[in-house]
Amino acid sequence: MSDRWLRWFQPTRRDPKRDVDEEIQFHLDARIADLVSRGASPDDARRQALSEFGDADAVRADTVRIDERIIRRERRADWISEFIRDARLGFRSLLRTPAYTITTVLCAALGIGVTGAIVSASYSILVRPLPYPHDEQLVTIYSDNPGHGYKSVNISWPDFVDWRDRNQTFSGIGIFTWNSNTITGGSGDAERVTGSEISPNLFAILGVRPAFGRLFLPNEDDRGRAPVTLISHRLWLRRFGGDSTLVGRTINLDGRAHTVVGIMSPGFNFPDRGDVWVPFKTDPALERHGNRGYAGAIGRIKPGVTVAQASADLHRIDALLAREVPDENEGWQAGVLTMRDDLVGDLRRPLEVFLVAVAMVLLTVCANLANLMLARGAARGREVAIRAALGASRGRIVRQLMTESIVTAVLGGVLGVAIAWWGVRLLRFAFPDQSPPFYVKLGLDAVAIAFIVVITLVTGILFGSVPALRTARTNLDTTLREGSRAAGTGLHRSRLRGALVVSEIALSVVLMVGAALLARSYKNLAGSDLGFDEHHVLSARITLPSSDYATRGEAAVFYQRLLTDLRRLPDVVSVGSAQGIPFSGWNVQGEAHVEGAPPPKRGDELIAHYQYVTPDYFKTIGVSLVRGRWFNDADRDSLNPVVLVNELMVAKAFGGHDPIGKRMGSSGSDHAATVVGVIKDFRHYRLPEPMGPAVYYPYASYPGRQQTIVVRTAHDHPQTLIPELRAAVRSIDKRVALYQVQTFDEVVSRSFWRQRLQGNVVTVFAALALCLACIGLYGVISYAVAQRTRELGVRIALGASRGRVVWLVGRQSARLVVAGVAFGLIAAYFAVGLLSSLLYGVRPTDPGTFALVPGVLAVVAFLAAVIPAARAARVDPIIAMRSE
Amino acid sequence: MYTRSIVAYTSNGHGYMPRTVDLLQGTLDLLILKTLSWGPAHGYAVARWIETLTGEVLRVGEGSLYPALHRLEERGWVESSWQISSTKRRTKVYRLTAKGRQQLKAETGTWSQFVDAVAKVLKTEERPL
Repeated sequence: MSDRWLRWFQPTRRDPKRDVDEEIQFHLDARIADLVSRGASPDDARRQALSEFGDADAVRADTVRIDERIIRRERRADWISEFIRDARLGFRSLLRTPAYTITTVLCAALGIGVTGAIVSASYSILVRPLPYPHDEQLVTIYSDNPGHGYKSVNISWPDFVDWRDRNQTFSGIGIFTWNSNTITGGSGDAERVTGSEISPNLFAILGVRPAFGRLFLPNEDDRGRAPVTLISHRLWLRRFGGDSTLVGRTINLDGRAHTVVGIMSPGFNFPDRGDVWVPFKTDPALERHGNRGYAGAIGRIKPGVTVAQASADLHRIDALLAREVPDENEGWQAGVLTMRDDLVGDLRRPLEVFLVAVAMVLLTVCANLANLMLARGAARGREVAIRAALGASRGRIVRQLMTESIVTAVLGGVLGVAIAWWGVRLLRFAFPDQSPPFYVKLGLDAVAIAFIVVITLVTGILFGSVPALRTARTNLDTTLREGSRAAGTGLHRSRLRGALVVSEIALSVVLMVGAALLARSYKNLAGSDLGFDEHHVLSARITLPSSDYATRGEAAVFYQRLLTDLRRLPDVVSVGSAQGIPFSGWNVQGEAHVEGAPPPKRGDELIAHYQYVTPDYFKTIGVSLVRGRWFNDADRDSLNPVVLVNELMVAKAFGGHDPIGKRMGSSGSDHAATVVGVIKDFRHYRLPEPMGPAVYYPYASYPGRQQTIVVRTAHDHPQTLIPELRAAVRSIDKRVALYQVQTFDEVVSRSFWRQRLQGNVVTVFAALALCLACIGLYGVISYAVAQRTRELGVRIALGASRGRVVWLVGRQSARLVVAGVAFGLIAAYFAVGLLSSLLYGVRPTDPGTFALVPGVLAVVAFLAAVIPAARAARVDPIIAMRSE
Repeated sequence: MYTRSIVAYTSNGHGYMPRTVDLLQGTLDLLILKTLSWGPAHGYAVARWIETLTGEVLRVGEGSLYPALHRLEERGWVESSWQISSTKRRTKVYRLTAKGRQQLKAETGTWSQFVDAVAKVLKTEERPL
C-alpha cells in the first residue's frame, strides 16, 4: 500500500485519546483472534489477553500524556517559526516604507524614553529609601511659629534639650549645626572643609557606623574635653592617602589639634556633603530658648509611632514651655517633617508637574502611534484582501499584521530604553553643581520602564490589529474590485483618526500653556530688577581660625590688609566685604525698634535683616545710596554705632519720614545706633522670597572672623582674578583657606536652577507634544488627500481652481485644529492650578499665554497641513482618474 | 512515573508464577528498536516478536510496550503512521528512523559490553588477587 495514498486517512486534527484507545483496542482484538485461532474459547482468550496486557488504564493514561506532550511541542515550534517568518516579513515591509517606520519607531522611542527618564528620576528622588536603616522613622525637627508665619526655622539648644528629655515617642533626638573648618597638615594647602558639629548620639540615630575607629562617646560633647573629630572616607583618602594609622592620631582643624576617633564609611555624607564632624559644644551665650536659628535636629521615632503622634508629643512639650518661658516660647512649636520630605520637599511639586506633563506626552505618543498604525492598516486593505483570497485564514492575517506592530514597538522600545538611560544621566546636570545630593541615586527604574514599554506595546498592538481585524472582516470581493479606496471603510475610521488628532492637539495645548507659564516665571525671576549688579563681581568666603585670630582686633587687621591688597590689583574697581552676599543664603534676621516708638505688641515685632559690611560693600555690588552718606573708615565706634537702613525699613519703621539722625536698635548690636544713610532696596534673599526691612552696621564697629569678600573688576570674566585673590590671602596667612569662590553671576543664576529646570523640562515636553500633534495632523490630512485623489482630480477637471482645492483640504485641517485648541484651552484652564505655587510674576490664567499658545499652534499646524494641501492642488486630473 | 519493567515468567512446576524483574533503564527500548530494525510493524507485532524470540524465558508485559513506543517516537527514534491492516482496520505502524538506527547501534554496543562484563565476573571461580 502506498504511503501517500494512506496519508489521506490521517485526520487533520489529532485526538490523542482516541488514537491511543484505537491502538490498544487493536492490540487486544488481535491477541484474542490469535488465541481463538489456536483453539481457546472467546471468553478465555479475552481474559488471557487482558491479563497479559496488564493495567490498561494506566498504560492508556501514560501514553496519552506522552502524545499530548508531543503535540504541544509541535504546536509551539510551529508558532515560533511562524512568528519568525512574520517578523521577517514585517521587517521587510517596514523597510519598504522608511518614512512610516522611522516616524513610528522614533515616536515610540521618544515617548518611552522621556517618560522612563522622568518616572525613574521621580522614583529615585521621592520614593527610593534614604541610605539609612528604617529611614521612615527618621524625622527632621524645626521650629515653627504659625502666628508669625515662620515655618521651618532652625531650633535653639534649650528647646532641643526639652524635646530630647521630655518626649515619649522618640528613641533618640540629636542636634547638629552646619559648620566648616580649615584643615591644615596632611597633603596640600590649607583647605576649607564643610561638615557639622553633632551631638554624640546623632550618627547612632541615623544608624550609620564608621569604617574604622568609633563614633563619639556620650560625654565627648562636654566642654573641656580634648577635641576629637570624625572624618569622611573621601577626605581620608584625598588628604591622608588612606593612612590606616590615622585613627588615634591628631589632625589640625582651625589651628587646633583634634584626635581622629573614626573614619566614616565611603559614601557617607552629612548634612549634605560633609567631610569633618566634631562634637556639638554649647556656648553659654547661646543657651536661651529664644536663640533659634543656628541648629538643626534629627530624631528617630519609636517603631509603630506615626509622625503625627511624634509631632503631637513635641507640641505637648511646647505647650509646657510656652507657660514656663512665655517670653521666648509663646507661639513657637516643633515642626516635624520626615527626613525625606525635608530633603526633597522642594522638588516634590516640580516633579509632580513633570509627571503630569510626561503622562500627557505619553498619551500624545500613544495617540500618534495609534494614528500612524490606523493609517497604515487602512493603506494595506488591498494587500490583506489578496492574501485572504489566496487562502490565508483571518487569524493568520491578523497575526501577521500584529507581528509587524510588535516589531515596530520592540524597535521603539529598545531605542526608548536607551533614550531613557541617557535622559536620566542628563538629569544629573539639572542639579546645581551638576551632581545631585548624596541621597539621590539617579538610575533607571526597571518597573517604571517595563510599565511604560508595556503601555506603548499595547497601544501599538491594539491599534495595529484593529484595522487589521476590520480589513480581514471586510468583504473580499468589494475590496478587490473597488481598490484601496474601499479598504478604509472610510467614515468611521477617519472619524477615529480625527478624534486622535484632536486629542493630540488638545494635549499639546495644555503642555504649551504650562511651558509658557513656567518659562515666563523663570524669565520674570531671572529678569527681575534685583537692585544690585551681579556682573563683573567675584566673591569668596573666608573664616579665620579662632586659634590664630582670638580677638576681633586681629580679625579686623587681617581683613583690612586683605582688602587693601586686593584694591591695588590691576583691573579691580572696588572691594568690599559683608557677612553674606545676596542670594548666598545668609538670611540672618532679628528684632529691631526705633527709639521713641511705642513698644510693639507681642507678635507684632519689627523683624529686620542685619549684617556688618565694609564701607565699599554696597558700591561693589552696585547698590546706590538714596540719601545721607556711606560708611567711612572712621565709623568704628561700637558703643555709638552708625547704621544704614534700606527703604523698606524707612517705610515700615519710620513711617516714610527721613530717618537720618534718628536712633534705633536691633539684634545686630547691644547699643542704639544712629542712622546715617538710606540705601536703595535690593533683593538680598533668594527669589521669590520678598525682601524686608534691613539694617547694616559698619564691619569695623564689630569685626567678625567670617566674611564674604566681593571684588568688582573691569574684566568681563571676573574668575580670571581667582589666582590673584588666592595669592593675596596666602601672602598674608597661608593657613587661611578661601572657599565658595565663585562669580556673583553664578551665585545668582544658581539660585534659579529649579525654576530654570521646570521651564526647560516642560518646554521640551511641550515641543515634543507639538511635534507629535503636527505629525498626526500631517498624517491625517495627507491620508485624506490620498483617499480623495480621484475626487479632487474630477473637481479639477470640471474646472475647480487650485485655490478651491487647497481650501477643501485646509478646511478639514482647520476643523481639527480648532476643536483641539478649544478642548486644550478648557483643559489647560483647569490644569494650571497645579502650577500656581511654581509661578512667579504671572497668573496661572495669564490671558497673554492663553492667547499666544493657540496662535503658535495655528501657525505650526498650518505648516503641517499645507504640504498635503499643496499636493492636492498639484493633482493631475488625468493621472488621478486613471489611478486605480 | 510509569516504571518500565519486564515481567518474567518462570516455570517451577506449580504453574506460572509471575515475578517482576526491574530491568535496566532502556532495555525494553533496546528490544523495541531491535525488532523495528527488521521493518515497520504495529505494536502487536512488536509484542509477538519479542515473545517469540525470548519465548519461554521473557515476555513483555504487553501494556508497557505502548508508552515505550510513544516515548521513542517523542525522542525521534521511531516514527509512526496510521495504516490499514490486513483485517481492514486502522492501525498505527511504527518504523525506525535514521536517528533510531544510530541509537540502536550505540545501545547494542553498550549492552554487549555490559553483558560481557557481568558474565566475566560470574564465570570467575576464584577471588581475584
